[in-house]
Amino acid sequence: MSEGLAKGVGVARAHHFESVAQQREATTLGIWAWLITELLLFSALFLVALILRIQHPEATVAAARHLKFWIGAANTVVLICSSLTMSMAIEFSRMGWQRAMVRAMLATAALGTLFLVLKGYEYYADWDEHMMPFLSSRPFALEETPAARLFVNLYYVATMLHAVHLFTGIALLLGMTWMAAKAGFLARHQNWIEIYGLYWHFIDLVWILAFPILYVVNRGT
Amino acid sequence: MRTPLSALTPADRAQLKRRMRKPVLTFLVLLALLAVNVTLGATLPFAHVWAIELGVVALMAATILLVSMEVIEEPPLIRLFSGLGFFWVCIMVGMTLTDYLGR
Repeated sequence: MSEGLAKGVGVARAHHFESVAQQREATTLGIWAWLITELLLFSALFLVALILRIQHPEATVAAARHLKFWIGAANTVVLICSSLTMSMAIEFSRMGWQRAMVRAMLATAALGTLFLVLKGYEYYADWDEHMMPFLSSRPFALEETPAARLFVNLYYVATMLHAVHLFTGIALLLGMTWMAAKAGFLARHQNWIEIYGLYWHFIDLVWILAFPILYVVNRGT
Repeated sequence: MRTPLSALTPADRAQLKRRMRKPVLTFLVLLALLAVNVTLGATLPFAHVWAIELGVVALMAATILLVSMEVIEEPPLIRLFSGLGFFWVCIMVGMTLTDYLGR
């Protein structure tokens, strides 16, 4: 924690913890244990992307050049903005500025939704360009380079898994915002905002890794 | 519930400025690093540019982990947990790539 909590802001101690400090550390450790499993899941997918690049360089570059680079870049900006609003929400919670915190949380949810809308448009553009090899009804645009199918399928698995995490994150965030707007929330559950913030920053981190590994690095030969 | 944005005192403004400095600076650093990567990816100025791009990504990931996720300010046990996660990733990536690159 970068700076102390304002007066009247804190955490209600649960009976099975000896102190609030112990409770705060246990919850942070718990979310990190889960984030590590998520990290290993996404890292394995990114590792497969690197292996595909090593095994089938021409096909991977051909497939990657069909991805919507500028939409991916715009989405990265959107998620970096959402990280800023989430960090602001955490700082507002520490200051006890509840209304500003709620607004920052809503802004974060709105930016997450914008990301999903842009992603949906990107998928539509891919569909329009016959870049969905798993659809039997539409011939794949890169049929002459069969290994490109592997990379494109991996792209969909990785980005859809990320989108599911983001969708879940937005739903949780909206639910928590509803609770956080109630009187007395910051006196009893301030650390919920910090714990949730770790999850949101992690979603951002995964996309920060996914964008270059899928879109950027494979553009060059 | 306070309404800080509509009626800020000088003390509130000072506190706001102090508290928001780190998130805003982190935001600007991440945008600058992204701009470098997007420029490199769009222009492809030389062969093996991917090495620089991956270096920039590593910087961005470290910034989010250490500053945004505040790992650097956490107690030692939590720092160890977060570090171990990336250590396991390094083992997985290192051993797998050793196989594929060594064939």
